Amino acid sequence: MIQKVRVQTAGMSTIKVYRLEGISVKEAKVLAEKLLCEEINQKYTINKPIVSAVFEIAYKPGVMNPEVASIIKASEDLGIKLLACDSSKEYLDKKVSLNFLTEYIVKEEPVTLLIGGKEGKIQIIPIRNMVDGSLMEASKDKLFLSLEEMRAIQKYFQSMDRDPTDLELETLAQTWSEHSGHKTFKAKLIVDGIEKKPLIERIKNEALKHSKNIVSAFEDNSGVMDFYDGFGICGKVETHNAPSAIEPYGGAMTGSGGVFRDIAATGQGAKNIASTDIFCFAPLDLPEEKLPKGCLPPEYLLKKVVSGVRDYGNRMGIPTNNGSVHFHQDFRAKPSVIVGAYGIIPKKYAKKGRPKLGDLIICVGGRTGRDGIHGATFSSGEMTERTIEVNSSAVQIGNAIEEKRMFDALLEARDKDLIRMVQDCGGGGFSSAIGEIGEDLGVSVDIKKAPLKYQGLSPWEIWMSESQERMIVVLDPKNLKSFENICKKYNTEVTVLGKFDGSKKLKVTFGKKIVSDLDMKFLHHGLPKRVLKAKREFRVQNSEFRIPETPKNQKEWASILEKVLSHGNVCSKEPIVRLYDHSVQGTCDLQPYSGKNLDGPNDSPVLRPLLDKKYGLVISHGLNPVFNNVDPYWGSIWACAEALSNFVAVGGDYKNAALVNNYIWPFPDEESLWSLDKSVTAVCDFMKAFKIPVISGKDSLSSTYRGVDGQVIKIPPVLCMSVLGKIKDTTKTVTSDFKKIDSTIVLIGKMEGSNVPKVDMKILPKTFDAIYYGIQNNKILSCHDVSEGGVISAVFEMCVGGSCGVKISLEKDKVFNETAGTFIVEVENEKIAKKLFQNAPFIILGETQKEPVVKVEGLFSVDVSKLKKAWQEPMRRLFS
Amino acid sequence: MKPKVLVLKADGINRDEEMAYAFKIAGGDPKIVHVNELRNGRERLSNYNILALPGGFAYGDDIVSGKILAIELISFLGNEMKKFIKREDTAIIGVCNGFQVLVRTGLLPFRKIGQMQVTLTNNDSGHFECRWVNLKVEKSKCKFSEGLIGSKIFYPIAHGEGKFITDAETLKEIEDQGLVVFRYSDEKGNPTMEYPKNPNGALNSIAGICDVSGRILGLMPHPECFVRKEQHPNFRRGKVKVDGLPLIENIIKFVKGAK
Repeated sequence: MIQKVRVQTAGMSTIKVYRLEGISVKEAKVLAEKLLCEEINQKYTINKPIVSAVFEIAYKPGVMNPEVASIIKASEDLGIKLLACDSSKEYLDKKVSLNFLTEYIVKEEPVTLLIGGKEGKIQIIPIRNMVDGSLMEASKDKLFLSLEEMRAIQKYFQSMDRDPTDLELETLAQTWSEHSGHKTFKAKLIVDGIEKKPLIERIKNEALKHSKNIVSAFEDNSGVMDFYDGFGICGKVETHNAPSAIEPYGGAMTGSGGVFRDIAATGQGAKNIASTDIFCFAPLDLPEEKLPKGCLPPEYLLKKVVSGVRDYGNRMGIPTNNGSVHFHQDFRAKPSVIVGAYGIIPKKYAKKGRPKLGDLIICVGGRTGRDGIHGATFSSGEMTERTIEVNSSAVQIGNAIEEKRMFDALLEARDKDLIRMVQDCGGGGFSSAIGEIGEDLGVSVDIKKAPLKYQGLSPWEIWMSESQERMIVVLDPKNLKSFENICKKYNTEVTVLGKFDGSKKLKVTFGKKIVSDLDMKFLHHGLPKRVLKAKREFRVQNSEFRIPETPKNQKEWASILEKVLSHGNVCSKEPIVRLYDHSVQGTCDLQPYSGKNLDGPNDSPVLRPLLDKKYGLVISHGLNPVFNNVDPYWGSIWACAEALSNFVAVGGDYKNAALVNNYIWPFPDEESLWSLDKSVTAVCDFMKAFKIPVISGKDSLSSTYRGVDGQVIKIPPVLCMSVLGKIKDTTKTVTSDFKKIDSTIVLIGKMEGSNVPKVDMKILPKTFDAIYYGIQNNKILSCHDVSEGGVISAVFEMCVGGSCGVKISLEKDKVFNETAGTFIVEVENEKIAKKLFQNAPFIILGETQKEPVVKVEGLFSVDVSKLKKAWQEPMRRLFS
Repeated sequence: MKPKVLVLKADGINRDEEMAYAFKIAGGDPKIVHVNELRNGRERLSNYNILALPGGFAYGDDIVSGKILAIELISFLGNEMKKFIKREDTAIIGVCNGFQVLVRTGLLPFRKIGQMQVTLTNNDSGHFECRWVNLKVEKSKCKFSEGLIGSKIFYPIAHGEGKFITDAETLKEIEDQGLVVFRYSDEKGNPTMEYPKNPNGALNSIAGICDVSGRILGLMPHPECFVRKEQHPNFRRGKVKVDGLPLIENIIKFVKGAK
């Protein structure tokens, strides 16, 4: 028996529908009045329509609706026990976007909301007798393994004299997936005929030479650098491209949720203190006919991804205070959604404890459902027209509150010294988390114990499920009781799944049935090491770099300026930023926007994670898909320089920075592998030049789309470089808004002329030092780094913040110059500039002025307000 | 002795630490207490002078903001709360989500637990907003606005459901009884309905109200997130007045004086 309560809110064009199962009409009335409807501005009906709605949209059965648990809880608090419930919406007009992966139009009343189902069977896959064709058929769309890898598995089971279970095969596929195994980064390379060391080895080797600030690098879910007073700070950046391409809202949510778990699963558990988000899409005005089949339009993607980040981060209470959006038409099939998270951790908890024989393996947090199965293998495969149909189970909706209470519980348990280690249940679910931590000792777990969202899952589905908001915790058995008590306080579920048994095997049972008996050695080291070839392909460059004609007169300058400022890469992102809670935790001492009208953008946030201490950390990033596409080496150097410049521009000392590198690449064919090799070389050269390490990172090498008509779209290769760094005093930092009238404006740094500016890594440290010194000594009033949009855009943004204008001299060909590592700086007068910058190249550009006009002598003079309108309009249109 | 402050925690509350910090530097003795500990009796409201309900998304703000927590408080802590507000030496502050909870319990504005008379609903903009706003501090029954009345103050806001509404009669009663404590205002301190200065479209620009005793205060903006100079986005542009701390200090001062 289901009672259907409809609630209408004044002024809203939707009607909320609640289906309540297992209660009487009388009870439904109590719930309607006390819980579901507020008399002041709402009205309700029971089991009859309020108005005639056009249609009703609900989550598909099995897709987790986060509201359900709250309704059940509150009803119980009111003394009414529900058997099940659901909530959905009726729409009064037709202009509704439906995501058919997670939602459906309700046409028939459901008889029950309970999801039943029989326990799935364990299947044995007769792999030993398969020929190559059948091996590949078994792998396709599911395992995403190569023939060579399938053969290695076949050989293993031949030697074991048995066939694998479905679960064993899935486990191998997940562990060996590009997502989990990083096969390309570990492969031996032959680049243009010359043998080179694996990419990951090269990065590690260089990074560990600069270990002054490293607490832990490359060995945990995030990299940890030294902070102050016995604390470390950590950072992790991830992509969530594949799910975001087909369900952007859920994809972005689970992307955020996942990267927050990486921080929470660092060592014995870190506290999340900041989040960043960086997106690459096709231009928003992409003509419909250019959108490949099976792909979603960029405007829809952008809006939904932003809402996903907003709804997850805001609920978690983790400030989102840094990010960027980039556009290039080759993101039209597969966007890049990059999410970062940063944390703080006492150094004594920063390393995972070694599991001991008999230690318990515990699952905490959310329940396991069918959602997200094959996420790890799916995200490692190329996208095709079939992706959206075949892999819909890889998509899920996040429940931030589930994660929030689990984190609260874990931090309390950590501070009571109860935890040996925390491991994230991310891509690959239990399989990945438990398989990884058990590598040395071996484990035995019974997955029948795992709490399920609903019945009917096969053992392999439970094992592979990527249901969000779950973590694996390792405990000494003597701490179990205390740990359970803490979790109970925070309403977080705890289940003992198994223990470390010393067998050096991955032993998984489902009740009494054995579903896995794999040797850890084969699981973790049986993957055939690859030798990959990379080759430079000389392509005719596309027209990205037409040299534009120099504007001839004031009018042409004004129009080109407006065009540049309204470009997606350059325009103001304020309307997006204001949707994100960047003030929560009270830590932000340099906010995303400042200046007279609080609309001048800043380069990086400065945070004071411990409110009663004056030291802090800075987070920044840099990437340039366009430059990277043209020249992967210098494009990557640009990204590194841009990231570090953003840190220096607010007052950071580059020597106290650490890097997080993310490679978001097309599928690594010979050509793409060649550019990847170049990019890694660039990152290593950068570390060497600045003597700072990369401490974490990730690769995502599957951003290629293959259409049925043979169309192939590769994204521009993206190196996203993120920076985290520490500063002694958060007050010794500067914002970008001009502070004074008649002060001196200086361009500092070496400007390069070519299409992809080749940043001079010998000069740049000197530029950085000069700026750092100037800010520390309160000589620099404001500072902004030059990036996309060039010199004039940086100057303009400083005028916006200062609510003033400038009178400057600038050579024609430098107006739009985009050399990373150059800065616009405001100082009191010329004398100070000459003294401060004697060791670095600089040009005095001119002065600030009260009149709000950007005036470049001999070229043009344009009102700041006119430019501001063009600069603010694009995102306002979408988000206000 | 420092007044004891119970900072209420529940699933999804996320501004508890900065609330506790603000009370600490204002001279209080704060403790973050999970609602389950009040329910199981391990903690008692009667041991505290101040109840602070912080911001966040209690239980995901499912159904409507603050609803689930409000029901929990009414169902299990109704009597304890009644006793608490009867004591003359107590104060309650609810910020943002905490304010939403207070109106949904009925504590604001008329201290009638279980009878809701005003609401905070979806912002007119239709979405969450994070920005700074000017507020005019009204002359009201509030016991914590000493020294602030008539002035213009600057607080951050971060919410999606902050639009204050009620029926005409209740609104009149609230106004007549002097229960409006804060109004969204322009740079000059005049109340405004203009977006985004009034970020949600609140009726009569109402940003915060108190009850008739003046000891229960609820507001959408976050005083606890402006208790040190560096939290002001423009502290580098010249002198700033730290507007959040005085309010928190006044609460401490009040309960101390009432003893």
